[in-house]
Amino acid sequence: MSATTDGFGIRSRNNVRESGSPDARPLVFVHGFGCSQEMWRDVAPAFETDHRVITFDQVGAGGSDLAAYDRGKYDSLHGYAADLLEILAELDLRDAVIVGHSVSAMTAVLAAGRDSSRIGALVLIGPSPHYLNEPGYTGGFSREDIDSLLDALDANYFGWSQSMAPVIMGTGNDIALQAELTDSFCTTDPDIARHFARVTFLSDNRRDLDRVTLPTLILQCKDDPIAPEAVGEYVHARIAGSALTVLDATGHCPHLSAPGLVVRELREFLR
Amino acid sequence: MTTADFEELYEHAPCGYFSTTPDGRFLRMNETFLAWSGYSRADLVGKRFPDLLDVGSRLFYETRYLPVLRLSGEAREIALTIRRSDGALLPVLVNSLLLPPGAPAEIRTAVFDATGRQDYERELLAARRNAEASELRVRVLQDASSAFSRAESEHELANELAASARHALDASQAAVLLLDENGALRPAGGDDPFAELRSELLRFPANDAVDSRGPILLSDLSQIQATYPALVGAMRDAHVEAICATPLLDQSGMALGAISCYFGRHRQFDPQNVELQAALARQAAEVLGRVRLEERLRRMALHDQLTGLANRQLLAERLGQALSSAERARTPIALIFLDVDGFKAVNDGLGHAVGDAVLREIADRLRTVVRGGDTIGRFGGDEFVVVCENADELAAHGIAQRISAAIRDPLPGVPSRFAVTASIGIAVHQPSGTEVTPEGLLITADAAMYLSKDSGKDRITAVAI
Repeated sequence: MSATTDGFGIRSRNNVRESGSPDARPLVFVHGFGCSQEMWRDVAPAFETDHRVITFDQVGAGGSDLAAYDRGKYDSLHGYAADLLEILAELDLRDAVIVGHSVSAMTAVLAAGRDSSRIGALVLIGPSPHYLNEPGYTGGFSREDIDSLLDALDANYFGWSQSMAPVIMGTGNDIALQAELTDSFCTTDPDIARHFARVTFLSDNRRDLDRVTLPTLILQCKDDPIAPEAVGEYVHARIAGSALTVLDATGHCPHLSAPGLVVRELREFLR
Repeated sequence: MTTADFEELYEHAPCGYFSTTPDGRFLRMNETFLAWSGYSRADLVGKRFPDLLDVGSRLFYETRYLPVLRLSGEAREIALTIRRSDGALLPVLVNSLLLPPGAPAEIRTAVFDATGRQDYERELLAARRNAEASELRVRVLQDASSAFSRAESEHELANELAASARHALDASQAAVLLLDENGALRPAGGDDPFAELRSELLRFPANDAVDSRGPILLSDLSQIQATYPALVGAMRDAHVEAICATPLLDQSGMALGAISCYFGRHRQFDPQNVELQAALARQAAEVLGRVRLEERLRRMALHDQLTGLANRQLLAERLGQALSSAERARTPIALIFLDVDGFKAVNDGLGHAVGDAVLREIADRLRTVVRGGDTIGRFGGDEFVVVCENADELAAHGIAQRISAAIRDPLPGVPSRFAVTASIGIAVHQPSGTEVTPEGLLITADAAMYLSKDSGKDRITAVAI
């Protein structure tokens, strides 16, 4: 089936990084569609003094092992959920708090539904179990909207292989290289980007929400064009005992636009 | 240059230029941008740039453009589509700069009209994708063809078919099921999440693919619910939301089995993929005929044709293996040698056809009384041999007694005046004993059998060696 993975394999496959206090309660940050673990740059370090902090790249993103990208496995969020559970086991984490952004909030939900033995709590930032509008459900998007995103990806990844070549070959001049490398945190193989976009925006995991029984915090931005407030409320209503906090921040990435707020709410929840 | 000159350069630059707050609210913009977007300054000030974008670009803006801009301070050559005030779409390329700490919190963006570039690129991309898709199909079929031709058994072939179909369709799992002699589907290769559940009572899509000799496509759980309500729970547990099952048909159109691909997400099956799965199934079905013939020939070369028992060659092989593993594991091994008493009289008196039927009946009875792992062989004429691993004298004696009793039972078609019994010899080798060869064991068991025969037939003699 999928590539075999020993412990070292899992760490390098997902480019797992650890910092903070090894014996403290672990916090695992899971990035969403479009970028990499760099997204947590302004949030994760704030917890290093009193938590074991783990960040990693989803397979296909950032510094993950692209050879591990098995299209069948990653054709649904279950493949990513399986990876998350493997990482928890490999690091032998207990009572971990999983902080998932966007599509990875749902990955965290799926993982917790499958095996919550190593998970103590969930923090879901801008979660959406289903992006498409359905009778009786407002996900925010139509099928045409998602096709339009795929077009936008195409328009941006057209010259990908050409422009990335010097970076991969190490022949670009240094200043440009630095900029390109930062850029490459969010760059990925165009086929993988398209596939991940489809999996992200065309999955329907609404009925997986009620399997979560863990303490759960939902962080919702006031003006999030990707996960509107109604969706946050839907998730809140489906996860028994969850708390919903609406952040005074715009956009879909409060951990970049308002990292201080995110840190504060996380701290409050962890107390 | 005067200030007016600078202003003129800025306002009518050959690119749009504007600044926004970090959350995208317009502060200033030049005339070029106003002309391109069709808005007035009053329309735009206070409005957010992302609100001007079409939905796809808006999603890209949030998930890619903004993260890059915030992480690296700039975003270059980002392709976006602006919705003009008249509703028309304007593809643009933008470069944005987030002013460094110390400067006013501001994003500055230059905008270039990319209409021509985008049309051309889109056509190129569509052509490239088509070419890649057909190349992929050809490659899948070629790879499968060579993998199938290397298969030496049904199981290997089934595994290769499952792997190629899984790869071709991006399925999370794929299973190959083949019809057995009773017409039931049995898992033969790949990963079948429902192997344990399959029974005569429960119908799966593969059953219907076989019966209808056509593909069964289930795009999502609601379709599964409508057609296979009994399976929905198991599907959910196995994270399966869509299924594509295709029959394996031989050249005459007879179904040999089916291949099922399972998907973790709902799926629109495009005809090309369904056809690809069918093409793989056709290739595999052809090879299956060849593999089955080879397996039959291999079987014939090592088995006695009359009784289906191991022939001398296979017996020697099994005995050699059993003996060396007994030496290694320091366990006892027994060889039972039996000669059918009274067989010559049956053969001469009732004819060869009855004689053959008796030998087949005896072979069947031997199969039912030996232990699971024992090997039974036909040594010649009316002589049979049983290799019993991990059996000491007591265990071997027990087996021999069951054999005696089984053969003594009346045989169908043989009048009671023909007494058919067995003279049995057992050679038992203990791990503490001296080393012994397969031939040594056989000679000893044969000699013990003759002792039984000479001392009145229908009895058992055991010799330790």
